[in-house]
Amino acid sequence: MTFGKHLRIKREKLRAEDRQYSVRQVAQRIGVEPAYLSKIEREDVAPPSEAKIRALADELGEDSDVLLAMAGKVSSDLLEVIRKRPRLFAQLIRELKSAPDHAILRVVREVRDGEW
Amino acid sequence: MIELQDNNLTFRFPEVHPEAGCQIDFQRTLRIPDDNQEYPLPPGLGRFPVQHVDDYADHLPEAWRKHGGVFVPMYQAEALWINFSGYYPCAIKIAAGKINAVSGEAWKNELSAKPQDYVVSPEQPWLDGFNVSEGHIRQFVAMPLGEGYTAEEQITGEAEHGGLQIIVYPMKAEVYEKLATHRVEEVCYDMAPPTAKDTLGMGLAPGGLMRQKIYSDEYGIEAWELEHSSRCFVHLASSAEYQKITGNNPPHKPPTAQEYATAGLPWFDCYSDKSSIPGAQGLTSLGSIGAKFFSKHSKPLPDNQALKPSVITKLEPSTRVRDGKF
Repeated sequence: MTFGKHLRIKREKLRAEDRQYSVRQVAQRIGVEPAYLSKIEREDVAPPSEAKIRALADELGEDSDVLLAMAGKVSSDLLEVIRKRPRLFAQLIRELKSAPDHAILRVVREVRDGEW
Repeated sequence: MIELQDNNLTFRFPEVHPEAGCQIDFQRTLRIPDDNQEYPLPPGLGRFPVQHVDDYADHLPEAWRKHGGVFVPMYQAEALWINFSGYYPCAIKIAAGKINAVSGEAWKNELSAKPQDYVVSPEQPWLDGFNVSEGHIRQFVAMPLGEGYTAEEQITGEAEHGGLQIIVYPMKAEVYEKLATHRVEEVCYDMAPPTAKDTLGMGLAPGGLMRQKIYSDEYGIEAWELEHSSRCFVHLASSAEYQKITGNNPPHKPPTAQEYATAGLPWFDCYSDKSSIPGAQGLTSLGSIGAKFFSKHSKPLPDNQALKPSVITKLEPSTRVRDGKF
């Protein structure tokens, strides 16, 4: 699903339960004009900045990385990580690109459980 | 597996179901008065910072290194509540000093149905304390080990473990799949006492009385994937020790309940007609910190004046947010 359409569906679903999720009120809370948010949802304009996408993710209870990816962007902290060790991370991402989720999760740092 | 992200423990069980898991974080809050009156839910004032034990292993006691897990900073007599989030049903056992906060029994990894010794997420949105009677808990309040306040010391006579212990069991995949096809989609929005001394290692003691139900497991114990679990030892460092260990400042002390109420800020009440479990026999007779402090020092616990919260926000069962701005 595209970014704008996804946003609209999510926001409308929330609005059905709570009027605080009208275009006007959400726009006000993330600091944009209602008309602009409406255009984003209709995809008349390109997705907004990373900061606004993060604010929208917070507002709508969405994962900001997932919303950024839908908007064709990569989080600036991830870019910074890659910039520091570009060769290593490019290799890592390419190698993991078709790995199943559980295999990727194995490289995530775990909280260690010891002896109690 | 457990990951630590943004001071949030993320439990995942990809071997059970791609969606299996939940998140647990520890919310800063104010200490409600310990005067045997019952109080509504205090607010969440943000997450406690959480650190991997392994990142500071050289500065930590041997026992902590052996336990693994994480640690959080708490001031003496500071309160916390445990926040559960996620939509995949999980059975969660919580202990303080290896005393189960729901059943009052000694720690064991396995789940027990009789008496129920766990809570069920997402039905149970949070846990604020020890299950002392049906519909009431006594608030989790950090106290130094060795002074006799903690539930662990009162029950076992020893100050051995301290901290919090958590184990999570996900729902069986086949039970979840069956449930998911039937379920209508729900949207979830999403003091220091005068003798204060900072010692390494704190435990949780029972504080003031609060209205909070611990819901019965409506799925039954057979719904849980007992072959797969993840557990975490959460150590409690005094704020001064935390600063020494990590070089980072702990959060500021929370406001007192009196300051918060005087500022006219909201407390919360969550009404649900779901059935709840009775109080744990072993926890009902615990002495609260107020009572213990008075018997030790022959004077009342500081910052413990009775109050009547005037602003109480009613929470719908589907609303999971109880933020306080201070």
